[in-house]
Amino acid sequence: MSIITAKNIHRRFGEGNLITHVLKGIDITVEKGEFLAIMGKSGAGKSTLMYQLSVLDEPSEGEVIIDGTDVVQLTERERTEFRLRTLGYVFQNYALVPDLSAEENVMIPLLMKDYNWQTAKQIAHAAIDGVGLAGKYKNLPAELSGGEQQRVSIARAIAGKPKILFADEPTANLDTVSGTQVIDLITKVNKEDNQTVVMVTHEREYAMGCDRIIHMKDGLVVDIEQLTTFGRGEH
Amino acid sequence: MKALRIGFLLGFRQIQRANFWTTTLIIFVMMLTFLNLIAVSGILVGLIEGSERALQKKSLGDIVLTELADEDYILETTSIVKVLETFPEITNYSVRFKGSAQLEANYQERRDLSGERDIVTSSITGIDPIQEDNLSALSETLIEGEYLDPNEEGHILLGAYFIDRYADGFGDVFEALEDVYPGDSVRMTQNGITKEFIVKGIVSSKVDEINLNSFIPEREFRRLFGRFDRNADQIVLRLDENISPEEMKQLLIEANLDDYAKIQTFQESLPKFLIDIKNTFSLLGTMIGSIGLVVASITIFIIIFINAISRRQQIGILKGIGIDRHVIQIAYVLQAAFYALAGSALGALITYGFLVGYFDRNPIDFPFSDGILVAEPLGTLYRFIILFIITLFAGFIPAWIIVKQNTLNSILGRK
Repeated sequence: MSIITAKNIHRRFGEGNLITHVLKGIDITVEKGEFLAIMGKSGAGKSTLMYQLSVLDEPSEGEVIIDGTDVVQLTERERTEFRLRTLGYVFQNYALVPDLSAEENVMIPLLMKDYNWQTAKQIAHAAIDGVGLAGKYKNLPAELSGGEQQRVSIARAIAGKPKILFADEPTANLDTVSGTQVIDLITKVNKEDNQTVVMVTHEREYAMGCDRIIHMKDGLVVDIEQLTTFGRGEH
Repeated sequence: MKALRIGFLLGFRQIQRANFWTTTLIIFVMMLTFLNLIAVSGILVGLIEGSERALQKKSLGDIVLTELADEDYILETTSIVKVLETFPEITNYSVRFKGSAQLEANYQERRDLSGERDIVTSSITGIDPIQEDNLSALSETLIEGEYLDPNEEGHILLGAYFIDRYADGFGDVFEALEDVYPGDSVRMTQNGITKEFIVKGIVSSKVDEINLNSFIPEREFRRLFGRFDRNADQIVLRLDENISPEEMKQLLIEANLDDYAKIQTFQESLPKFLIDIKNTFSLLGTMIGSIGLVVASITIFIIIFINAISRRQQIGILKGIGIDRHVIQIAYVLQAAFYALAGSALGALITYGFLVGYFDRNPIDFPFSDGILVAEPLGTLYRFIILFIITLFAGFIPAWIIVKQNTLNSILGRK
């Protein structure tokens, strides 16, 4: 059962003679519970594709259906609400609010989702414990290493139990050990919680735990690599 | 409510984690703005208020009794004084007789009888020197010579503006006598009656009423002006601190004194032009203070704008993870509100804890008034509300500009 269906996605930037055609008609489906990696060289359009799928950007053409909702038709405010309720994000640069402690960073989206303070705090603690940072609830991002910040970022992304977790090069700023820990964590979330994950990476070793890898080049999908039997009824 | 709560958390944490010195500097700027708003108009109004206070202290007292509209003098003055003496709330009073007369100086030295005489027309006030001094401390205004002795006759105190060396600074505004010093003789002529007085002293005050008056003992005044019924032109009362002029006025009315004299509190007796000037200065002060308000709003705008633009990516990420833009705007507006509140609170503390008292004890020496700082709590509250609202807008607008930018562009740092 597909949770994301994207049809004929085009993304152009600029105007007139200066138009850059970054995505040139991409069709893609992501199955519920699937761990999908998008790979490609710089400029291939992998991040741009993820932004279209994750409702952070609007395609110039085409449609994106997520969990039955045509997200292209949503207003800005509805898109924000949709992202809050349905999607989780792990960004390349951790993207934590520097003034908030680890627990507060995780709590903010939960509070937006109408959880009361106490419940949000309990969920945040459980999520932080889950990424191996028990006891660091009160630490500010600046008091955590890059790997730890990214794990808090993962805790924030999954605490609200999103339907899809998007990770945009989550290991790009990390050393190998921390990068591996982060990938292991995302893989664990996918395998144990049946969390749908879409991850952009340009490091093949980090994509090896995925179910499927989409290879992109010049704004087109040039290859799809199936790594597991997911989606073939054997997962 | 949810947006407010989360916005409050974000804003509070931003303030909490902000650089201490930067926060201190911003609050300091806001405090100066508040002081500017209060002090500029406060001192301008204080100029007039100081003038009013001096007028109250040196001339009009707390309550003034004058003649009724269709009478020439206060009726039954002697009886009224007796009634007044029964009120313990009245600490001092002065009965004044008023008229005008010609004063001539240097007549003894004048050789050329066809030449111009050294004459001025002066208001003459007949006073009981002791009563008057107790009420208005007239003796403290002496700049030359001595105060009137109640046991002496034939002495006069001249207002400084009738003496050329004090009036010269005003050009030809005032007629003045030349080279008159204490001990010199002047000749007073009124209605064909002439009497010679020895100048006992020269009085000068920031209250022009004194500078433009000459004072003689009331006994001589009544003789010279033919006021044998003892009915006065003005009775001025000084009250105990425990009673307000309004309450005292009511007591006097209950004693039926209003049948014989017009009773006014000091405020009621003020000339309308003085009240108009006061209101004009207040308006002027507010207008000048408004420049400070504009500066403060621009300062807050810049601070919040820089703050928001330096956190543009973070704002984008917050929007990206589903935080409503209003939450983010509230966070920045809250910061602006904090700066305004903290600055105003400090400003109010300095104003009421120090400045008002200081200027009361050490008035600013303006040429025509001892200026004080007037900061009416209600006026201060209004100004604070204006400052607060403008600051909120100044905080909201930059936050709104940054927050409305494309989410992805903000996240990626694209223009």
